[in-house]
Amino acid sequence: MRKSTFLGLMAFLMTLPVLAQKKIDFKEFTLDNGLHVIMHQDNSTPIVITSVLYHVGSKNENPERTGFAHFFEHLMFEGSENIDRGQYMKIIESRGGTLNAFTSNDITYYYELLPSNELELALYMESERMLHSKVDMTGVETQREVVKEEYRQRYENQPYGTILPETLKRAYSDHPYRWAPIGSLDHLNAATIEEFQQFYNDFYVPNNATLTIAGDIDYAQTEEWVRKYFTEIPMGSKEIYRPNVTEAKKTEEIRDIIYDNIQIPAVIQAYNLPPRNHPDSYALSMLSTYLTGGSSSLMTKELVDKQQKALAIAAIPLELEDGGIFIMYGITNMGVEPEALETEVDKLIKQVQDEGISDQDYEKLQNIIENNIVSGNSSMAGIAQNLAEAHVIFGDANYINQTMEKYSQVTKADLQRVAKEYLNLDGRVVLYYLPKTEESTTEE
Amino acid sequence: MTGFAQVDRSQLPEAGPAPELKIGEAETFTLENGLKVFVVENDKLPRVAFTLVLERDPIFEGEKAGYLGFVGQMMRAGTTNRTKDELDEEIDFIGASLSAGSTSMFGSSLKKHQEKVLELMTDVLYNPIFPQEELDKLKKQSLTGLATTKDDPGAISGRLTSALVYGKDHPYGEFSTEETINNIEVEDIRNYYETFFKPNIAYMAIVGDMSVEEAEELVTEYFGDWEPGEVPSFEYEMPSGTDKTMVGLVDRSSSVQTVIDVVQPIDLTLGDENYISSRLLNQIFGGGSSGRLFQNLREDKGYTYGAYSSFSSDELVGQFSANASVRTEVTDSAVYEFVSEIDRLLAEGVTEEELELAKASISGSFGRSLESPSTIANFALNTERYDLPSDYYATYLQKVDELTIEDINSTAKELIDPSKLYITAVGNGSEIAEKLERFGEVKMYDNMGNPAREIAMDASMTVDQVLANYIEAIGGRDAAMAVKSAKVSMDADVMGNAITLTSVYDDENKRYAQKTSLAGNVMQSTSMVDGKGSISAQGQNIEMNEAQYNEAQMSALFIPELYYESLGYDLKLDGVKDVDGVDAYKVIVTNSAGTFMTNYYAVDSGLKIKNENPNSGDTVFSEYEEKDGILVPMLWTITSPAIPVPLAAKVTSIEINPPLTDADFN
Repeated sequence: MRKSTFLGLMAFLMTLPVLAQKKIDFKEFTLDNGLHVIMHQDNSTPIVITSVLYHVGSKNENPERTGFAHFFEHLMFEGSENIDRGQYMKIIESRGGTLNAFTSNDITYYYELLPSNELELALYMESERMLHSKVDMTGVETQREVVKEEYRQRYENQPYGTILPETLKRAYSDHPYRWAPIGSLDHLNAATIEEFQQFYNDFYVPNNATLTIAGDIDYAQTEEWVRKYFTEIPMGSKEIYRPNVTEAKKTEEIRDIIYDNIQIPAVIQAYNLPPRNHPDSYALSMLSTYLTGGSSSLMTKELVDKQQKALAIAAIPLELEDGGIFIMYGITNMGVEPEALETEVDKLIKQVQDEGISDQDYEKLQNIIENNIVSGNSSMAGIAQNLAEAHVIFGDANYINQTMEKYSQVTKADLQRVAKEYLNLDGRVVLYYLPKTEESTTEE
Repeated sequence: MTGFAQVDRSQLPEAGPAPELKIGEAETFTLENGLKVFVVENDKLPRVAFTLVLERDPIFEGEKAGYLGFVGQMMRAGTTNRTKDELDEEIDFIGASLSAGSTSMFGSSLKKHQEKVLELMTDVLYNPIFPQEELDKLKKQSLTGLATTKDDPGAISGRLTSALVYGKDHPYGEFSTEETINNIEVEDIRNYYETFFKPNIAYMAIVGDMSVEEAEELVTEYFGDWEPGEVPSFEYEMPSGTDKTMVGLVDRSSSVQTVIDVVQPIDLTLGDENYISSRLLNQIFGGGSSGRLFQNLREDKGYTYGAYSSFSSDELVGQFSANASVRTEVTDSAVYEFVSEIDRLLAEGVTEEELELAKASISGSFGRSLESPSTIANFALNTERYDLPSDYYATYLQKVDELTIEDINSTAKELIDPSKLYITAVGNGSEIAEKLERFGEVKMYDNMGNPAREIAMDASMTVDQVLANYIEAIGGRDAAMAVKSAKVSMDADVMGNAITLTSVYDDENKRYAQKTSLAGNVMQSTSMVDGKGSISAQGQNIEMNEAQYNEAQMSALFIPELYYESLGYDLKLDGVKDVDGVDAYKVIVTNSAGTFMTNYYAVDSGLKIKNENPNSGDTVFSEYEEKDGILVPMLWTITSPAIPVPLAAKVTSIEINPPLTDADFN
């Protein structure tokens, strides 16, 4: 499957979840086995998206078996008792559809996008995956190789590809967010087939899943098919493992240098964030837009356009269920030392902390957020994912209709307050990415 | 609720009745100045997007190649009414987007800000001032970008295929160089703007929450006064292609992979009779992971991470391409598979099963594309620009469905001529050149797509003689043999950071130590003593295994040429090459494990002027000076994929046969 790379993640985070002006209507029900179902009808285009969100991500993993959740995202396309190996994608393609999946620290998400007369097929395919996916040695061995190639391509071979794992490793000392979803290839190599089967039995159960269907559908017919294919799937027998770890507040800065196959140095700063459903998340998201969203934002204008110390700069709140990180990264311009860029970044953070923001900028922020929210629900695929996440992370699918309200409650004073409270220069992670000067180059 | 105990899971659910695809229509009108407008009303969301497209002939930029790429950013860099800062602020303030290119402008916002976006868009369209400082900034960025692509095998391959398929005197076959970028002046951009930004060659697509009546009113208000003007047209000859299949090779001796591209100019335009069948053909041949190329070269042979094809359409000339990056060792095998797949496609054609899968895939993708209202605007634009029948898109799926195996096969035969292919390869020439000869004449090119200079070598020259000449050139065998050890210190500047490299060579006892320091702190060190080696970096100490030790050994001697024989290295003289304008003997040095590097010795002076190492990059040696009876290069210029700009390391001190202690190697 195509993966959410770090940059992909960034793009994903920039799409805000909800539309304020136009209410998204939906219907919900829950099966006896615990499967929660959300349906959204929109008949304007004859397509339908069917998605399943499993509430399992890298944070649910055994620290000695990291990478399992992501590995399963690969394994779950290997087939089932009724779908032969390699046929899953082919079946969808032969009915005019497309499919994809991704894994984050919190969730694993699968979807199929098909012509609307193929909804029953999509439900059948997802129910096969939930009921009796193939978890055998052949599949495990094949996918291990694919994941290795993915690791090389996305992390080792990708300039700055290791930013996320290197940052997480330092930003958390206790919480399982300290490892990235890609995890460890050694762990995957060491794992037995029984361990993989156990993970499937523990987490790929209806009481840990949310099924969302959006598009050109009939509510009654959809519910009938959902019941037909999902009712027989047994509920999990164990309580779902969810880590209960509170990461202690950092009081000292952690600073490191990473040598990478890159052309130009980068400066990364990371600050710990509150849980994703904490009220301050909205202010922090607006703060990131204030700092780097658009050509006229504080840091882009000052550091990229005026001083030309940075080629690019971005502030991204990586929002996670138990508290993510606010990542700032700046790529230096030719001949600029990382220290020089970092000093200027810090000056601007201090400026926001000391002086807050102007009325004009506050109004600009609200306009940008409004535009983003309106544009955020423009596709069925986006609406399905936003509904599923609203239900799982915020406890209510209708959260999709409340985002604008939450943002509009953020005051100017809140923006200054969260800048002071969370962007704590003494309790952060700072990484310099420098070009790798390879051993033998310097030997000669 | 009744259960569903009898669900039959052995059969896939059947599809329901096919839904009707409603393909929306665009409303259209034309202003008096010639601006054609398409409106696709969609009030699902309260936003609107304006796209302006100029329809002009491709332009050959010649000695100013690259200037068209600057036009949009230059227009967006300030107007007579607003500085760039003010434009940025006003666009962001309403949460809008505004961008420009040499043949396009795009603006979008929420419905309530539409007039403001149009005001800003037309300010950029009518009143740009083209500031010199913006051009300077763009040139600097562009030159930096060009420098980084010179060693990028993908970029080299792209330049080579364009140069071959289209020819360098065609707009699609030219590309910027340092010289052409430096030639660009503000006047070039202003002239272009004044000549081509005219309503009579422009289309405007409006998509979103706007009726055609409202659009007509707004467009007339904002674009009605836009002055039309005569726009020049240009004609180009259809590239002739090659008479018979040939191989174009760029030697990049540090490559471990070969970038292969099998290309050919084709006559294919959107809407012509082969167009839709070429979409299906490509889907079957190399469109994705179910394509024949992917299945053969990746899934079956494991040569590559992915192999794909494309049939691009264009009003002037299109291109067929089949490509993959493969391991050096399998280069000729992979080319063989590409050629065989092409032959098989033409000889045997496609199967019914392949065609059905391709139809489902293409039709599904067409249906999904209709979710976005901008698709309808694109359909309307294409219909107008390419003079398509008005029901072209309305009947698209029907046309897909009606295509037969024979249609696909005849399209393949019409588009591909298997006897006239350009096979291009960017990789390690000495490993692959000979093996590629069976596919056609092999011609060498440089990294900018120019024919490489061929240099004849005196046939009596041997590799031993090249090395003997080198030893003679640096001071003679006695003087060289007298050098048992050396300490060398060099300074370099990396992105504004001063780096010091110190090396201690004990050639006699095969000991070696090296340290890299940044601002006085040791960042990395290597030590090789008594057949064991270790590398320390970032607080970690890594022991070398045998293979790594043997590999490191190749670069761990002060005068390695004296020891090649005793170390059992295999030496091969691979002709005379052009090294930055100097004729030099190319010598490939390979250790017993097959690890190799390449040295170049100048034909006239005998001195070693370059080392290429697939693992660590290239080093150019220059400014030779005499030290204790031998000549030593005082400037080492190192280029590597890992560093952005060549690293110029200057020797600051050198000691020949210094007193050495064990501590020097710790």
